[in-house]
Amino acid sequence: MKKAIKHRKSVSYTKWAYIFIAPFFISYTVFTLVPQFLTIYNSFFENYRNGLQQIGPNFVGLQNYVQLLTPDKTGTVDFLKYFGNAMAMWIVGAVPQFIIALLLAVLFTSARLNLKGQGIAKTIIYMPNLIMASAFSMLIFALFSNVGPINKLLVASGVIDQAFDFLSFKIPVRTIIAFMNFIMWFGNTTIVLMAGIMGIDQSLFESANMDGANAIHVFFDITLPLLMPILTYAMITSLIGGIQMFDVPQVITNGKGTPNMTSQTVIMMLNNYLSTSKNYGMAGALSVMLFIITGILSFLVFRTLSKQYKK
Amino acid sequence: MKKFLCALLALIMVLSLAACGSGSNEPASTAEPASTAEPASTEESSEGKVFHIYAWNEEFKGFFEKYYTVPEGIEVVWTIVPNEGTQYQDALDLALLNQESASDDDKVDMFLAEADYILKYTNSEYTQDIKALGVTNFSNTYKYTVEAASDANGVVKGVSFQCCPAGMIYRRSIALDVLGTDDPAEVQAAVADWAKYNEVAEKVHAKGYLMTASYAEYYRVFSNNTSSPWVDASGNVQIDPAIQAWMDQAEKFVNNGYTLTSGVWDAETTEQAAKDGKAFCFFGPAWYYNFCMGPAFGEDAVKAGTDSVGDWGLCEGPQAFFWGGTWLLAATGSDNPTMLADVMDTFINDEEVCTNLIKNEAQFTNNQAVNNKFAADPEFGNPYLGGQNDTAIFAEGAKNIKFQNQTIYDQGCNEGLQNAFAEYLKGAVSKDEAMSNFYKALKEKYPAITVPEA
Amino acid sequence: MKTTRNEKAKLSLVLSRVLAYGFIVFLCFLCLFCFILLVLMASKSNSQLQGAFSLRWGGNFLTNLKNAWNDASINIPRGMVNSFIVAMTSAVITTYFSALTAYGVHVYNFKGKNFVFTFIMAIMVIPSQVSAVGFIQLAYKFGLTNKLWLLIVPGIAAPVVFFYMKQYLESVLPLDMVEAARMDGSNEFRIFNEIVLPIMKPAVAVQMIFSFVSSWNNFFMPALLLTKEQYKTVPIMIAQLRSADYSKFDMGKVFMFILLAILPVMIVYMFLSRFIIKGVTSGSVKG
Repeated sequence: MKKAIKHRKSVSYTKWAYIFIAPFFISYTVFTLVPQFLTIYNSFFENYRNGLQQIGPNFVGLQNYVQLLTPDKTGTVDFLKYFGNAMAMWIVGAVPQFIIALLLAVLFTSARLNLKGQGIAKTIIYMPNLIMASAFSMLIFALFSNVGPINKLLVASGVIDQAFDFLSFKIPVRTIIAFMNFIMWFGNTTIVLMAGIMGIDQSLFESANMDGANAIHVFFDITLPLLMPILTYAMITSLIGGIQMFDVPQVITNGKGTPNMTSQTVIMMLNNYLSTSKNYGMAGALSVMLFIITGILSFLVFRTLSKQYKK
Repeated sequence: MKKFLCALLALIMVLSLAACGSGSNEPASTAEPASTAEPASTEESSEGKVFHIYAWNEEFKGFFEKYYTVPEGIEVVWTIVPNEGTQYQDALDLALLNQESASDDDKVDMFLAEADYILKYTNSEYTQDIKALGVTNFSNTYKYTVEAASDANGVVKGVSFQCCPAGMIYRRSIALDVLGTDDPAEVQAAVADWAKYNEVAEKVHAKGYLMTASYAEYYRVFSNNTSSPWVDASGNVQIDPAIQAWMDQAEKFVNNGYTLTSGVWDAETTEQAAKDGKAFCFFGPAWYYNFCMGPAFGEDAVKAGTDSVGDWGLCEGPQAFFWGGTWLLAATGSDNPTMLADVMDTFINDEEVCTNLIKNEAQFTNNQAVNNKFAADPEFGNPYLGGQNDTAIFAEGAKNIKFQNQTIYDQGCNEGLQNAFAEYLKGAVSKDEAMSNFYKALKEKYPAITVPEA
Repeated sequence: MKTTRNEKAKLSLVLSRVLAYGFIVFLCFLCLFCFILLVLMASKSNSQLQGAFSLRWGGNFLTNLKNAWNDASINIPRGMVNSFIVAMTSAVITTYFSALTAYGVHVYNFKGKNFVFTFIMAIMVIPSQVSAVGFIQLAYKFGLTNKLWLLIVPGIAAPVVFFYMKQYLESVLPLDMVEAARMDGSNEFRIFNEIVLPIMKPAVAVQMIFSFVSSWNNFFMPALLLTKEQYKTVPIMIAQLRSADYSKFDMGKVFMFILLAILPVMIVYMFLSRFIIKGVTSGSVKG
C-alpha cells in the first residue's frame, strides 16, 4: 500500500521536474539555439542589403570563410589581426590584473598582517566592475581628448607645449583600453581569488608557520598550487571576455578602431557587418570562427568547472 | 500542469505587454514636450493623428516648430538619429522596410535626407510622387534641388527647404593683416584659384596664422567638382582626380603647418573660429555659421565674450561648390498626405516663412524670389559678417550648382576617406595603409561594391 | 638576543603593514579618481571646461543637471526609464526561472537529469555573440526591432544564474522540508513559491542585483535592436555622445550625462556593497 503510493507520487513528481525546467529549455531553444543554428546556416550564404535592396540569400558554399581568411596584399588577414588586437589589449590589462589581484588576495587573507578596513577597500576596488563600460569609455575619451582636461593640465604644467593626440597613436590607445579593463576587473578577480584562498585548509598555513616558512615560501608552496584550479578558471573566463572585447574600444575610437585598425576587435567587425549592410553571410562566418575559438576555451573552462564540482 | 502553464504564459504576456506598453505610450509626451500639439479629441478626419518625421539633427525641427503651424488634432513626433557612420540611414531604412506592417501612428510620414544619400531613397518605392499629393509649384525653387529629389524617371519625391551654395568665410582681421584688405572682392581676387589660394596660405602661415583649421575644411570644394562618381556603373570604387587633388593639397597643408589634423566638426577646429582663434578661413554654406562656428557666433560665446561676431567676410573662394542641403522626402504609406504636402509647400513657397528663415536664422532658402529680394536689398546684411550681404553672394553661387555624379554610397565614401586619410596626416599610418583601411571599411559597409586590391 | 629578534619581527610586521596599507590605499585612489574627476567635471560650465584645468568645484552642477535632463536630442530620462524597465524585469525573470530550473534539477529524480545538468554547464560558457547574428536576423524578419521585451524574455534561460542557484540549493535546502510540505498536501508549484523561494532569498537577491547591473550596462545587442529614440537605453545614448553631431555640445552637460548613466547603479551599490561582495565570493567556484 505504502509502496504503491510512493510509486504513484514519484511518477507525478517526474512530470513536475519537466514542467519546472521547461521554460528554461524553451527559451534557450527559441532565443539561443535556433539563432545559433541560423548563424551557422547563414555563413554559407550570400545575404546582405545594398541600400534598400535585399541581395540573396544565395548559397555560396565556403566563400564567406575564404573571404574572411584571405590575406590582403600585405599578407594580413584582418580577422586574425583584429583577434590579435583584442588579445594584445587583453594581456596588457590581464597581467597586472592577476598579479595585483593575487597580491591583494594574499594581503587581505593574511592572518599575520590582519589588515583593518578591508570592507571599505573591497567595496572600492570592486566598484569599477559595476560601472557601465560605455559610460566609463566616454568619460575616459572626454578626459583624454585633445581639448580635454588631461591635455589642458599637461600643457598648463609645461610637460608638453601643445595638446597630445592620445587617441591617434597605437600605444596610448591600447594602453588606455587595457588600463580600463584592468581597473574594471582587478577588484572582481581579487574577491574571487580571496574566496579561493579562504577555501584552502587553514591548518596547512598554520603548520607551515610552525615550521618557520616565510611568506614567500608559503605563497609559492601552498597558496599558489592549491589556488591553481580557481586561478585557471578566472584566467580563462577573463580570456573569453577579452576575445569578446567590444564596448570600450567601440566607444573610445567611435567604432573606427583607430589608429590603423590596431584597436579594432572581432566583435567590432561583427558589429560593422550587422549594422549597415545586414551582411548575415559574413557575420555568420565570423561568428562561426569565433564559436570555434571560444568553444575550445569553453571546453577548458567546462573541464575545470566540472572537476571542481565533482570534488 | 495546465494551470501552471497558463500562469506562466500569463506572466510572460503581462510582462511583455508591460514592457512594450510602457515603451510606446509616453515617448511623445516626455520626449518632445515642445513639439506636441494638443490632440483634439472631437475632430474626426480621415488622416492620421500622428505626423512622424525622421531627421538626423535638430536644425529643421527648430525651424519647423517656430514657423510651421501644425493643423489642430495632429501630433508631430520626431525621431532623431545622428548622421555619422550612416547610423541615421540604418535606422531610417529599418523604419521604411517595416512601413507596411507598422501601425498608422508609427508610420513614417516624412523624412529628411542629405545630398550624399538622397538618391537611395528617391530611386526606391519608399518615397512617393509629391506632385500627386498636391505640391505643384516649383517656379521659385532652384532647379538642382528638384533634380536631386527626383527619381530616374523625373518623378519628384520631395523638396529641399534650403539651397546650399557655399563660399569661403574668411576672417577680416587676418585678411587685413596679411593681404592689407578685408574687402570681399579684393580677397576673392587674391584666392581666385588654387594656385593663388596656396600663395595666400604661405603668407598667412608666415604671419603665424592657420590657413584653415581642419585638413578637411575644403574637402567638399573638391568632391563637389568631380568628373566621375565614387562608384562606377559596374560597382568599382574609383578615386576621381579632384579627390586626388584634395588629398595632395591636404597633405601639403598639414606638412607645411597651414592647417590642423582635426576634423571639420571637432572642437579643436571650431575653437579656431573664436575670438583668439587663428584660422583665416572656413568653407561652407549658410548653415555653416550655426553648425560649425559655434565658438564664433554661438550664444554661449557671446555671453562669455569669446565670440568673433562681425570679424568675418564671405567670398566665393577658389572654386564654386555646394555642401549638403536638407531635403524633405515624402514616405510611401504616409497617412497624413494633406499635411505632408502642406509642409513641403510651406517651406518652398510661403514667402513669410522663407523671409523669416533668412532674416532670423541666417539661412539661404529654396525660394529664389525671396532670396533675390534680400540679395538686392542694400539695407540687408548679416551681423556675423560685419553687415555684409551674404545672400547676394549665395544667390550668385546658386546659379552654378550642378547635382551630378551622386551614388547611394557617397556618405560612406566621403566620411570614410576623410577618416582614413586623417590617420595618414597624423602620422599613424602610411598612405597605402590609409587607403587600404578606407577600402576595407567601405567593403564592410557596402558588400556590393568592388574595392581595389581587396 | 631574543628581544632583538622579536623587535626585528615586530618592525618587519609594522613595515609590511605600512607597505600593504599604502598599496591598498593607492589602488583605492586609482578606482575613485576617475569617479571623483567625473563629479568635478560635471560641476563645471562649458567655458570653465574650456579654460585652464582646475580641481575646484565649478558650481554649475545643478545647471548642468537641468540642461542634461531636459536636453532635446538625448532624452536621458526616457533612456533611464527604458533601461530600468529592461533591467528590472530581466532581473526578476532571470532569477525566478533560474531558481525554478535549479529546483527542478535539484529536487527531482528524472530521466536525463544528468544530461540536463551537464548540458547547462556546457552552454554556460558559450558567448552570447555567437547567436547574435541569427537573433538579429530573426528580430528583423519578424519586425521585432524596437521591442523592449525582446531584450527581457531570453533571460529566462541564464545558465550562469542557474548554476549559482543550484549550488545554493545544495547547501541550504533540506529535502525533508519538501517531503514534509508534500505530506501537508501542498502541490509542487506552491511548495516552490511558498517554501523554497523564501529560503533562497539571499541567492535570489544577489543574482537579481547582478542581472540588473549587467542588463543596465548592456550595449551590444540593444544597440543593434533599438533604433528609435523613444526605446533607446542609456548605454546607446551615451555611445551617441561620441558622434560628431554632438561634438559642439556643452561639455559640462556631456559629463553630466555620463554621471547620470552610472549613478543608479552606484546608489544601489552604496547600500548593498557588502551583500554584493558576499555574492561574488560565494558565486566563485568553491575550491
